[in-house]
Amino acid sequence: MAFEPKEPQKKLKYKELRIYSDEELNNYTEEELKDFKCKHDIPDLDELEKGPWPSFVADAKREALHRRKLAEDRMMVGRDVVEDLMGILQLSFDHGETHWKHGGIVGVFGYGGGVIGRYSDVPEQFPSIVHFHTLRVNQPNSKFYNTDYLRTLCDLWEYRGSGMLNMHGSTGDIIFLGTTTEQLEPVFYELGHVLQQDLGGSGSNLRTPSCCLGKARCEWSCIDTQDMCYELTHFYQDELHRPAFPYKFKFKFDGCPNGCVASIARADMSFIGTWKDNIRIDQEAVQAYIGGELKPNAGAHSGRDWGKFDIQKEVINLCPTKCMWMEDGKLMIDNKECVRCMHCINVMPRALRPGSDTGCSILCGGKAPILEGAQMSMLTIPFMKCEPPYDNIKDVVDKIWDWWMEEGRNRERLGELIQRHGVPKFLEILDIPPMPQMVTEPRSNPYIFWKEEDVEGGWKRSIEDYRARHKR
Amino acid sequence: MEEIKKAILDFAEGSKKTKFYFSDIAKAVHKILPDAKSREIKKAATALINEEKLIYFSLGSTTMYGLKGRGITEDH
Repeated sequence: MAFEPKEPQKKLKYKELRIYSDEELNNYTEEELKDFKCKHDIPDLDELEKGPWPSFVADAKREALHRRKLAEDRMMVGRDVVEDLMGILQLSFDHGETHWKHGGIVGVFGYGGGVIGRYSDVPEQFPSIVHFHTLRVNQPNSKFYNTDYLRTLCDLWEYRGSGMLNMHGSTGDIIFLGTTTEQLEPVFYELGHVLQQDLGGSGSNLRTPSCCLGKARCEWSCIDTQDMCYELTHFYQDELHRPAFPYKFKFKFDGCPNGCVASIARADMSFIGTWKDNIRIDQEAVQAYIGGELKPNAGAHSGRDWGKFDIQKEVINLCPTKCMWMEDGKLMIDNKECVRCMHCINVMPRALRPGSDTGCSILCGGKAPILEGAQMSMLTIPFMKCEPPYDNIKDVVDKIWDWWMEEGRNRERLGELIQRHGVPKFLEILDIPPMPQMVTEPRSNPYIFWKEEDVEGGWKRSIEDYRARHKR
Repeated sequence: MEEIKKAILDFAEGSKKTKFYFSDIAKAVHKILPDAKSREIKKAATALINEEKLIYFSLGSTTMYGLKGRGITEDH
């Protein structure tokens, strides 16, 4: 399906939008970089540059040198921001505690999220980072962008911010690190009106939804993750920008159970593509894998010789539910036992493909540890069709939010509320019956309790009569 | 809407605290207007933000509401 933007999209041209010339962008030599010395003494940060891994310190030093050599009127925030940032980090290492104060009333007008106030508690020592606010920029879906977009973004942040970014934060946003309060509205204006780029979510909001590459690049994608993410991001604009939730709430969209955005581990509501019919098998291709004409895993592990491909050892025996076997030279699958681990499909992508009756599984309650430890999302709806405008999905979302907003304690994630109230209550809210797929280990975590009206005779049986036949 | 806005402001002005969670605002409104829906309360709170009577106070992970002019009101 072709992409249909909600509003006409401009084609960004860096050469028309750029702020800096090539000379300004390449204003230092590698020799100068070698001789660069930060204005603060930063022995522990220098240490981080050693060893085999790339370090953010090396990048920060490049940026610091670059800013040192830019003309004074080419930056709207302090020239020394990067050097001061390295200095305050060294001070935090020395003291074993942070020197950032969190929280504040900064933001852009009308938005309750997207800007996170950061203030230094040692302003005299590091004057250029007294304010060092973070902005979250809602990343394009699947993080698809071209160099015109990226360069324009970088120029904007060099001019109005520290020039330092995180690509990307764990929610997926592009994170602009460090600017002053006065620059927030101008950055927001440029992002919105020139780059057609919104801020992301922060605080007690719907956080920036994120998705995998989806059907744009991946033949396994069972749902159009980009379209779903785009639609729901637009539909829930108010929830994204105007906080009224008990705490954060995350949507993530994975096109298949490989879960490239790890929605199951990170999102309060994970949408994972799946199929209802059978795995599609091309028996000729199966033979080609067995015969060695096709490389397993599409050649991904060809860096060393693993020996001849052994379908029994490498695929069939590794099936978690043992639902595969060879019969008369053909690969057979008992599809009703398949748990969508994706291993066989990953190993033999030319021979096996997800089914063609596709939709998504909805899982709820995933989160990182603050209370009760980390939790994976729990399978709530095994299968739901995903077709624009996704009204069936929105119905589920609305029910969950109504319950969570009503019952959730301050700073309580959905997963914690489900734990506190119990899964039966959650299923009651959604008006769906309990299903075997929701049970982690059959018969070891029975969480469904009968209600009186569900039991013949109710609770009125005689316990004496029962005890007459069953000793305690 | 105007009734909800008044209830929010009365709660904010009468409270010893200077920053409130949305749910505390909603509870206070429900005491006066039991039938008010969460989304209506949110709309009223947003309107008060736009009128610059309330402010957002963001901790990064959590957002609270405050009454403009009380508690931390300047950018520091």
